[in-house]
Amino acid sequence: MKWIPFVLKHLRQNWIRTASTAAGIAVCIFLFCTLQTIVASLQGSLNQGAARLITRNNVSRFYSLPNAYEERIAAVPGVKRVAAANYFGGMRDVNNPDSEFANFAIEAENFLAMYPEYILTEAEKKAFLGDQHGSIVGRALAEQFNWKAGDTVQLTSNIYRTGKPFEFVISAIYHTDQTRYPGTNESTLFLHYQYLDETTGRRAGVRTYRVEIADPQEAGVISHAIDNLFENSDAETHTETEAQYRANAGVLGGNLVLLLNGIGLAVMFTLLLVTANTMSMAVRERRTEIGVLKTLGFSGRLVLGLILAEGVLLGVSGAVVGLLLGRFLLDILPGVPVIGDLVRRFPKMNVPPTIAGGGILIGMSLGLVAGLFPSVFAYRAGVTELLRQT
Amino acid sequence: MPELNVGAAQAAVKLEGVCKTYQRDGQLIPVLEHIGLSIPQGQFIALMGPSGSGKTTLLNLIAGIDRPTSGSVLVHGTDVTTLSEAALAKWRSRSVGFIFQFYNLIPVLTAVGNVELPLMLTSLSRKQRRERALIALRTVGIADRAEHYPRQLSGGQEQRVAIARAIVGDPQILVADEPTGDLDAKSADEVLDLMQALNHQFGKTIVMVTHDPRAASRAHSQKHLEKGVLLGAQP
Repeated sequence: MKWIPFVLKHLRQNWIRTASTAAGIAVCIFLFCTLQTIVASLQGSLNQGAARLITRNNVSRFYSLPNAYEERIAAVPGVKRVAAANYFGGMRDVNNPDSEFANFAIEAENFLAMYPEYILTEAEKKAFLGDQHGSIVGRALAEQFNWKAGDTVQLTSNIYRTGKPFEFVISAIYHTDQTRYPGTNESTLFLHYQYLDETTGRRAGVRTYRVEIADPQEAGVISHAIDNLFENSDAETHTETEAQYRANAGVLGGNLVLLLNGIGLAVMFTLLLVTANTMSMAVRERRTEIGVLKTLGFSGRLVLGLILAEGVLLGVSGAVVGLLLGRFLLDILPGVPVIGDLVRRFPKMNVPPTIAGGGILIGMSLGLVAGLFPSVFAYRAGVTELLRQT
Repeated sequence: MPELNVGAAQAAVKLEGVCKTYQRDGQLIPVLEHIGLSIPQGQFIALMGPSGSGKTTLLNLIAGIDRPTSGSVLVHGTDVTTLSEAALAKWRSRSVGFIFQFYNLIPVLTAVGNVELPLMLTSLSRKQRRERALIALRTVGIADRAEHYPRQLSGGQEQRVAIARAIVGDPQILVADEPTGDLDAKSADEVLDLMQALNHQFGKTIVMVTHDPRAASRAHSQKHLEKGVLLGAQP
């Protein structure tokens, strides 16, 4: 501990260089934490529902399936429940495409039974199920639009055009448990499929059937069995696990995760080179000083430790700043115009402790690795060699 | 200045058959050849000679910051050539005080911080280290500048701080490489007065490399090196 003030004084010696290096590390850790939080959020949502399948039209997810399929799917061995779920495409302002947010028409009873991640009290659930015009909204969405239970909401669907807006009553605000079900979206509105179907004159069709199965290990067999039922029909089906469905739904794709990780790694590697160069410069400038320390009796190991400690302190301070930046950004991003609309479609994001810890560890490692070469040089160099460099 | 009675004093430094050869660009360059030297305890000696004669190399060998190619270097009975790097570093911290030509103070530390530095290697508490550092600064007459940084001090003051750093651990021997080489005449005299006082009052053995005959005249004896050979000595 007695060496910490000595190390800090050296870091302060050229504070512009120290601050710029720490800022570089901060940007790196900020990117790491933000990207990893997004990745964790995406993966969390991808990994949910191992026991759930989604059946859609084999041609495209934009084509419907007949309502009559529901009973036949439910009769497939291994299937526990089936619920229709259509993306509703509701907008608050029909002239403003950006006012669209995630909203689904669901067969509520079965849907809620197979999606325990949307948390409602029994009374709230009863209120929703008992009102065909009812809807439930996530806490984040309710906060965004300042909605509360009992409010009436009008939405115009860009998919189901009826000439007038749909009107709903908010029956309840659902909550999520991000520890048990990480990545669960808190910004979705659910309405009754029956209301949609009736309002559209029974022409809504079913875009997806959510299928709960008894044994996740049987997902492949059951998917095959469901699709076999409708082979060679007018509306052939394509059944896959929920994770596969989400991964194939564009932005949630595995390639995005790979891309985000790739960006993070590239930034980290670049920062490592920059920090290593800075540390080398700092040590090169202090060759005589290191020679003096060794003359005074500082062992090579102690000198090595002091330089590594400098690197680690630099890395950790940069990491802490980066982490705070990341948290701040993730907090304010949903409120930023345009970007916020996009971000709100993702599940609620918060830098989890594991990623924060990982960020600090990476900052520390960056400083350690960057300080390795100059410290080994200082460790090995002879005193006379160091003093001659004056 | 009269020499001490060499015969009566115990040898603080004893070099026997010391050779030092450097290798540069594949060529072996002899710097010191068969040096034999005995410096009694409490002696103040000046090593003189033209540039490249091996004065500083000899000083470095005595101070244990370089190793001879062959021969032995005994300082207060310890053969420093046999010590490992770690043991040698520990030995230096306890036994030798080094005074450089360009002071070599650590710029980020105050005067007292610089003097405290060698004590960081001991088990002394922060308070004890500070007390001892202030005593050393008082000894060299610069305690009033304890909180000043090197950049705020004159050359003479910096060298005084460097001397305080050299004596703070109470080493048996002080080695000085051109300690007045970067100072004006007045400051040089003050530094030499100080070194003489350390020698007289505290009995420190001092080995000083210098080009300056005036500085050398303050020593008990002068040794002359030329082309790596100690003049007037038996090989």
